[in-house]
Amino acid sequence: MKVVICIGSSCHLKGSRQVVEKLQTLVREHGLEDKVELGGTFCMGDCVNGVNVTVDGEKHSVSPETVNEFFEKEVLTKIQ
Amino acid sequence: MNNLCTDIGWMSLNKHGEQLCGDHVDIVPQGKNSTVVVLADGMGSGVKANILSTLTSKIISTMMAEGMHVEDCVETIASTLPICAVRGVAYSTFTIIRIIENEEAEIIQYDNPFVVLLREGKNWEYPRESVEIGGKTIYKTRIPIQEDDTFIAFSDGAIHAGIGMSLNFGWEREDIIDYMEMMYDKSYTAKTLNTILLDECNKLYGGSPGDDTTAVAIKVRERRQVNLMIGPPSDPVELTRMHDAFFSESGKRIVCGGTTSTLAAQRLGKPVIAQLDYLDAEIPPTAKIEGIDLVTEGVITMSRVVEYAKDYLEENQKYSQWGYKRDGASLISRMLFEEATDINFFVGRAINPAHQNPNLPITFNIKMQLVESLCDCLKKMGKRVKVSYF
Repeated sequence: MKVVICIGSSCHLKGSRQVVEKLQTLVREHGLEDKVELGGTFCMGDCVNGVNVTVDGEKHSVSPETVNEFFEKEVLTKIQ
Repeated sequence: MNNLCTDIGWMSLNKHGEQLCGDHVDIVPQGKNSTVVVLADGMGSGVKANILSTLTSKIISTMMAEGMHVEDCVETIASTLPICAVRGVAYSTFTIIRIIENEEAEIIQYDNPFVVLLREGKNWEYPRESVEIGGKTIYKTRIPIQEDDTFIAFSDGAIHAGIGMSLNFGWEREDIIDYMEMMYDKSYTAKTLNTILLDECNKLYGGSPGDDTTAVAIKVRERRQVNLMIGPPSDPVELTRMHDAFFSESGKRIVCGGTTSTLAAQRLGKPVIAQLDYLDAEIPPTAKIEGIDLVTEGVITMSRVVEYAKDYLEENQKYSQWGYKRDGASLISRMLFEEATDINFFVGRAINPAHQNPNLPITFNIKMQLVESLCDCLKKMGKRVKVSYF
C-alpha cells in the first residue's frame, strides 16, 4: 500500500509535518514497514481540503487531529 | 581578462559606550573589474574620530577610483583634515587595497597594522616598499593576485583586543595570522571570514571593546553563476520559452515551488521524488529531479532565505544555522550567498488557483515581494543579479 502525503506550501502550513511524523510512528508501532510505503509529493492542486493524503491513488483530507482516525479507517482496515 | 572577481566583507565593532565608530570603510568600484577599498582609523574615538576617518576614506577612495596618484591623495588629506584642538594634529591612519582588473593588487598602508594576505589559506608575506610622502612613511606594494587570495585589513582595535583583560599584551598580528590560518576554509566568503575575526576580537575584549575595531576581508574568487526558477509563467504558452531560457544558462540550477518543479520535471522527462525528512521543523522537505541541483518548496522556504539574507547583511548571527544545515532554505542560502557571484532569477507570475482562497495564508503578492527583497539583499552582497519575469 502506498500512502502519499502532500508537502506543498499550503498543506505544510496546515500541518503536513505533524501528519507525516504521526503516520511514520503509527506505521512503526504496528510493524507495517514492509506493507505500507510512505511518500511525499508537492501540490496536488486541492489546497483548500489539505492536508491531502492519497492511499493507493485515492485522495483523503487529513489533519493532525484526524490522523489517528484516518490511519485506523483507511490504512489498518484495508491492509488486513 | 580572467574569470576572477572580488568578494568583500567588512564590519566594525564600536568602542564600548560609543554610538559612532571612529573607523571607516569605503568601497568604490572602478569600472567592471577594479575596486578600491579604504579602511581609515581616525584619531581618538566618537564624533571626532568618525569625521576624520570618514573624510579620509571618502577622499582617498574617490581620488584613487578616478586614477589619481597616492601622493596627491595624501597631500589632499593633509591639507583638508581639521586639526584636533587637543593634540594639534590632523590624523587618520589608512589602508588602501586596490584590485586592478582582477589581476593585480596594490596595497598602500599608513600606520594601520599591516594587511594579512592568505594565499591558499597560508600567510604570504608580500614585499613592502617604504616611501616618504609629506613627512609620512607609507608602505607600497604591488603584486599579481591569484584565485583564493584573501586580504584581511584591520584597525589597531583588532590587535589591541584583550589587552590587560584576557591577554597581557593584546593580540599580535602574528596571533591573528595563526588564528585565521586555523579557521580558514576555502568555501568561506569574505563576510564569513571577517565575522570569524571580529567575533574573536569581541570575545577577547569580553564583549565590550576598548577601541573601535574594524576588519575588511577581500577574497579573490572565480565567478560562478547560479540560476533559480520560481513560479510558472502567467501565460501557459510562455512555459517553453521560460524553460528554454532557464535550461540554456550555464551553472547550477535551483527550482522552487511545487507546480514549478512538476513542470520542470515534465520538461526533463524525469520524476519528482519528494523526500519526507524534516530537517527543519518549519521548512518543507526538498525533492529530487535528475538534472536539477536543488528542488524545494516555494514561499515558505523562500521567506526563510530572505530572513537569512537580511541577517547576513547585518549581524550575520544566523550563519550558524544555514551554514551547515541541509533543509531547503539553508541549501539555497549556501548556494546563493556563498557559491554564486552571478544569479539569474526566472520568475513566473502565474497565480496559483489552488491558493486563491481567503482561508489560505499564501498570496501572490507575498511571493513577488519575497523575490524582490531577496534580489535587493543579494545586490547588497555584491552579487550580479538578473531577473526575468514570465
